[in-house]
Amino acid sequence: MPITLPAKLGSLAVALIALIVLPHLTTGYVVYLANLMLIYIILALGLNILIGETGQFGLAHVAFYGIGIYTTAILAGRFDVPFPVAIVAGMLLAGAIGFLLGAVSFRMRDIYLALSTFAFGEAMQWVFKSWDDVTNGPNGMRIPQASMFGFRITNDHDAYYIVLAVTIVVVLATVALMRSRLGRAFRAVRESEPAALALGVNVRLTKVIAFTLSAVYAGLAGGVYASFSSFIHPDSLGFTTTILVLTMIVVGGLGSIAGAIMGALILGLIQELLRQAPSYQEIIYGVILILFMMYAPKGVAGAIKARFGRSAAK
Amino acid sequence: MTVTPFLSIKNLTVKFGGLTAVNDFSMDVMPGSIHALIGPNGAGKSTVFNCISRYYQPVSGDILFQGTSLMQTPAHGTAIRGIARTFQNLELFNGISVVENVMVGLDAALKRDGKRLSPRQMRLEAEAILERTGLADYRNEQADALDFGHQKLLELSRALAVRPKLLLLDEPAAGLRNREIAALDRLLVDLVRKEGLTVILVEHVMQLVMSISDGITVLSFGQKIAEGLPAEVRQNQQVIEAYLGREGGAAA
Repeated sequence: MPITLPAKLGSLAVALIALIVLPHLTTGYVVYLANLMLIYIILALGLNILIGETGQFGLAHVAFYGIGIYTTAILAGRFDVPFPVAIVAGMLLAGAIGFLLGAVSFRMRDIYLALSTFAFGEAMQWVFKSWDDVTNGPNGMRIPQASMFGFRITNDHDAYYIVLAVTIVVVLATVALMRSRLGRAFRAVRESEPAALALGVNVRLTKVIAFTLSAVYAGLAGGVYASFSSFIHPDSLGFTTTILVLTMIVVGGLGSIAGAIMGALILGLIQELLRQAPSYQEIIYGVILILFMMYAPKGVAGAIKARFGRSAAK
Repeated sequence: MTVTPFLSIKNLTVKFGGLTAVNDFSMDVMPGSIHALIGPNGAGKSTVFNCISRYYQPVSGDILFQGTSLMQTPAHGTAIRGIARTFQNLELFNGISVVENVMVGLDAALKRDGKRLSPRQMRLEAEAILERTGLADYRNEQADALDFGHQKLLELSRALAVRPKLLLLDEPAAGLRNREIAALDRLLVDLVRKEGLTVILVEHVMQLVMSISDGITVLSFGQKIAEGLPAEVRQNQQVIEAYLGREGGAAA
């Protein structure tokens, strides 16, 4: 049974209305969770560009998220830069560092790329932990209360509509990107570099762009997180978080926007359930990751596509 | 009156470590012709293709395309200059749909013209090409769901989408049934005679090579051993020994 266009539009409208009325029906905790999920969606969409679409196993995603958080927090907290400007600055800095990482690692592939980007992520966490003057080191840093467009964000409710709006814009932009020439170039690089070259795709440049864009998404996620969060601790910016986001896109289905969103919601919930047992988190994500890679490599989106025909996912 | 060759390979030598894959090889291809490059397996035919598409860097020699050297063109620049190719061992974009494979080829043509099309127009153009190669029914399939023969045709479709001036075909008939080979024969003749395309064909199916080629170059162990019209090459004693006598003699 294929899903028809009216059915799709109908369910989108219902989802949108549900998202809009959500804060009026629930408690602060649920809204906090919703904000977090939306952040995860942006993170997952960003990592999906690099790993899912372009096939480059960059495992430094959390580093760019951290750069976004710290840049926004420092600019807004110490230099009184308006929050929206600070968020954009965090995005750009993350993008610039992502560009550099991409420019030095486009020659590497597979396990070598995974290991070197993993090392970069670890190094960045060390910077967050050790650069006391800037990040306040291992004690973590207070993030000032945000105010955007003359509107103070004092709690999760205040932030919700802004986070939701940013996420919707990001999702729509990603859909457009994946249908564009650049989106096809990403997939061409993933599927066959010799063929991509023969068809006029600048493979190196395309990889560097994927690294940069992926970092920009993570930087944006970090900046938006800083707008409703009051504290950042470098312990939360470790490899576990990158694995969490990787598990999201694998569970959702690599290379699928709908998959990245579903994966972010599913793993976001699981993570919240495991909040009391942090030491089990890594094991559980690892098991989920392995099981999906073995038994459902196309993830939830792939399964839905197989069940309902091709119009359902993507 | 002399015609300038469309593609001119001059003294091309390619080495992989100590192995010389292609040795001092020269070949001229005339505009609007179908030129076959034949020879036993491992003779260096695909290596020549990989040099024209700038995937391999020769140790010496030059390749002139429309009178200008290709040596300054990066691999991703050849499609923009009007060269498209297929691969012997298939290099399809397996995980995406048939129609999207063709759209990647269209992107190269549009980049050359500095144009953009809406997603809808892109799709229609890609479907028109699939119509021509007989794959229209499979347009929404994932590329790796096609059988081998259809995958070969998809590579051809993707290359045609580039709207090339020079088309390099590496064993396009492998895995095709006789009826499909006849259709491929007609399509190629159509492209060359009506649309002025130039084709270099690496092929083992001698029935196809002999019926459509304007000229044939024979490679063996990286060396050119013969060149000429199909009838001449067929009579050449060296060629018969190296190649046709053993493998394609009956068909020829």
